[in-house]
Amino acid sequence: MMPETTDVETINRRRMNLALGIVVLIASIPILVTYFILMASSFANQMITGSMVGQLTFTLKNWILFFEGKLTVASAAVYSTWDILRYIFNTFIVAFGVMLVTTALATMAGYACSRMKFKGRKFLIQLLILLHAFPGVSLIIAVYALYIFSKGPIPSQWWTLYAFIYVIVARAALEIPMDIWIMKGFFDKVPWEVEWSALIDGASRIKVWKDIILPLVKPGIAAVAIFSFIAGWGALIYVLVFLPPTEKTLATYIAGLLAGGSLEVVHLPVVAAAGTLYLLPTLIFFSFVRRYMLQTSLSGIKG
Amino acid sequence: MVSIRLDKVTKRFGKVVAVNNVSLEIEDGKLYVLLGPSGGGKTTTLYLIAGIYKPTSGRIYFNEKDVTDLTPAERNVGLVFQNYALYPHMKVYDNIAFPLRLRKEPKSKIDSKVHEVAKFLRIENLLDRYPHQLSGGQQQRVALARALVKEPSVLLLDEPLSNLDALLRVYIRAELKRMQQDLGITSVYVTHDQSEALAIADKIVVINKGIIQQEGTPEQIYENPRNVFVATFIGNPPMNIVKGTVLEDGTIETTGSRLTPPPAVLEKIKRLKLKNILMAFRPENAVVSEHPMEGRFSPMGDLFEVEPLGRDAVVTVTVGEFVIKVVMPTREAMQLRIGSKVHVNIDPSTIKYFDPNTELNLEYIEA
Repeated sequence: MMPETTDVETINRRRMNLALGIVVLIASIPILVTYFILMASSFANQMITGSMVGQLTFTLKNWILFFEGKLTVASAAVYSTWDILRYIFNTFIVAFGVMLVTTALATMAGYACSRMKFKGRKFLIQLLILLHAFPGVSLIIAVYALYIFSKGPIPSQWWTLYAFIYVIVARAALEIPMDIWIMKGFFDKVPWEVEWSALIDGASRIKVWKDIILPLVKPGIAAVAIFSFIAGWGALIYVLVFLPPTEKTLATYIAGLLAGGSLEVVHLPVVAAAGTLYLLPTLIFFSFVRRYMLQTSLSGIKG
Repeated sequence: MVSIRLDKVTKRFGKVVAVNNVSLEIEDGKLYVLLGPSGGGKTTTLYLIAGIYKPTSGRIYFNEKDVTDLTPAERNVGLVFQNYALYPHMKVYDNIAFPLRLRKEPKSKIDSKVHEVAKFLRIENLLDRYPHQLSGGQQQRVALARALVKEPSVLLLDEPLSNLDALLRVYIRAELKRMQQDLGITSVYVTHDQSEALAIADKIVVINKGIIQQEGTPEQIYENPRNVFVATFIGNPPMNIVKGTVLEDGTIETTGSRLTPPPAVLEKIKRLKLKNILMAFRPENAVVSEHPMEGRFSPMGDLFEVEPLGRDAVVTVTVGEFVIKVVMPTREAMQLRIGSKVHVNIDPSTIKYFDPNTELNLEYIEA
């Protein structure tokens, strides 16, 4: 019997997918295992390590301890439940704040960089990449100096609020250059003809932007929203520097647990619970916007 | 009912002059085709009429009303883009209704108008689909419906058929022409396809290098091209060009053959003191044969190739330095032997004469 012939150009899709799947799986094993240990430990009586698998039991104790503000089983509460809830709330404030500021500005600036003629446009676009390459830490002294100066005229009872705004804006500023770049790429893909079409149909520039262009760059907006949300959620140094010591986010809370020798004192599964909680919103948020990210619908425009 | 007038319109992009001092009158209710190679300035001219581009200098009039400074919406034009530019996130119904909604027309009126135009273009069954669910031809109709629904004073079409496959193109071409005649709407149609232009135009405007090369009916453009560019752009294959030398005795010599031009041509040659002349003839106005034919101008050459295209064949003959293409019945063409010596028998009454310096047709030179 003749062996089955295949076209030279065609790669066997199924075999290809299988191979890809295996490679991705192997590459992800270290990550998956660590996350699994973290999450499972938060529901176990002790940290999961290889040798003690037989002695593990399921418990919600760690989560209760965490929300009671306790760090070990025996000790008294270091934080109140109210503190913990506030820290979680703070984390959301910073994350959504950074997300909103970044997404709004990057979407508008990306449109301008893609569509509008102005002097120094090309230079500005190149500068954006350079700006992104600057590590945020290296700017911290200047940003701090600016914070102290700008805080001066503000009445002291508003300082906490101001610190939040400052953290959000400063952290967003680090994200914006790259996100402008991303948004510019998405705007570039929308043909001029679609915009012209709407203008000819009688729409104003603003209306064209809002009703025609924005819906077409939804995937870009989703991507930028995710990235900036994650950046705000995980913001550590800026939060640590600018928020008053009484205000923490989950990131600084966990960092506090691990720093300054307290690691030896705390019950690690409680930290695992905090870590799991710290992961969750990112996962949930990602699953929400994922379908927008994958939705690229520029058909109906040939060219 | 609208006529369009371009008065010395120029458009520059930086240093590039896309449209150079163009004056053009487009009659009411007629279908004008702007024809030319890509980069020739025809789409720019269309966008100038639409109001997407503002002219660097010159004025544009609709019915003697100066619209140069009006926005596209104020000019009330319908424009179909080459890529259709449908709004991908809107259903077909919403695509068509979009311009009406912007005019804040009442819902019932919008609904009846959308259905009316959809029925006219036979896309009623597609109204609740998204553009990406449609074929190219259907998308094209939707784009047309969206342009027509606002009852524009002018319909502008930018290469509307170039994204369709060849067979569909021929069908939709006829439909477009019929639709334009039924509606009696002043239309400007841009294409680089000369056969498309000849097929549907009331008037053709040939544009190259931002300049109008010739304006006229398809017959005028085809039968009597104004210059060498038009002669070699229109027709499939286009006109053959042969260079000849004007002799003392008033005959023209080329590649060893002699021709006596008509007296009117000869007179112009003398007045212009031309030493050389370009002669052009259509491929269908010549016959290739082994022996020269009576009453024809018959230079001799080598038969290079015969391409049968069904009823007719394209016969390529090299005559001296010139490559000549002749369209003749396949049955006769197949009798010829590749590589043999043949005569190209040209009907002398169909030959057009061009000044080699200005490349202008002598008939268009005021004597």
